[in-house]
Amino acid sequence: MRELSLNVMDVAQNSVRAEASLVRITVEESEKDDRMKIEIADNGCGMTEEQVQQVIDPFFTTRTTRKVGLGVPLFKLSAEQTGGSFNIQSEKNVGTTTTAIYVPSHMDMTPLGDIDSTVKILIQCNPQIDFVFTHSTDLGSFTLDTRELREVLGDVSLDTPDVLEWIGQYLEENTQNIYGGASL
Amino acid sequence: MTVNELKEQLNLTPLVEDDYDREVTDCYIGDLLSWVMGRAPADSAWLTVMGNINSIAVATLADTACIILVENAALDDNARQKAEMHGVNILTTPENSYSLAVKLSKLI
Repeated sequence: MRELSLNVMDVAQNSVRAEASLVRITVEESEKDDRMKIEIADNGCGMTEEQVQQVIDPFFTTRTTRKVGLGVPLFKLSAEQTGGSFNIQSEKNVGTTTTAIYVPSHMDMTPLGDIDSTVKILIQCNPQIDFVFTHSTDLGSFTLDTRELREVLGDVSLDTPDVLEWIGQYLEENTQNIYGGASL
Repeated sequence: MTVNELKEQLNLTPLVEDDYDREVTDCYIGDLLSWVMGRAPADSAWLTVMGNINSIAVATLADTACIILVENAALDDNARQKAEMHGVNILTTPENSYSLAVKLSKLI
């Protein structure tokens, strides 16, 4: 993928298909440590060890329309080609945690891309699911937790335009803060 | 022109031979696999430096006629196994994509 945020979208959609009610997306960037971690953790139906091995194999897919599935394999490749690592921890009926670690200074590093839009689209398309998005840099961190939003919103759905606009602004302002205040 | 004829004319070294009688009607160059996946034409010779297992999946998906690993780029062991299993033709050359493609364009 040209942007890692697209990989996040892909894996989070797998969480949705796994009937998760809560998806945690964490992005930890550290220039100081030359390290970036992307983690997507869900409480969906989980996988057996054998199934985990299958999803990192590009020649395995549950789709019947074609015989290869490259979502997870390409995510794995994106991390490993920077000298980082990739791991999937999963337990049946408990959930799945996918972790990709990058060395951002590497020449083959893929840009993170527009992660805020990814999170916003995920919320918009799956208003029944809760998302906890945490983004940190050396300068600080912030969290968007849709469970907290629901407490304030009551019966108002997360995919109403005003709510989505507020989410977009919240993400934009906080992202600017952790990137040192420069407008992006 | 078949894969075998390309091999002879361009001095390619065979790495995985499934069906070298397959026709090659086009050429595509790219290393970003997710990009190549949706763009490499079927029956093309795909020139790349990516010799990993995902490349084999991309070649299968795009139904390219062969992969040509340029600049002697390495083919991973597990990629070779998958290529043999799924019938993906692979050849290699010391030349870079540009110089090979220039010669290839005169043949197809």
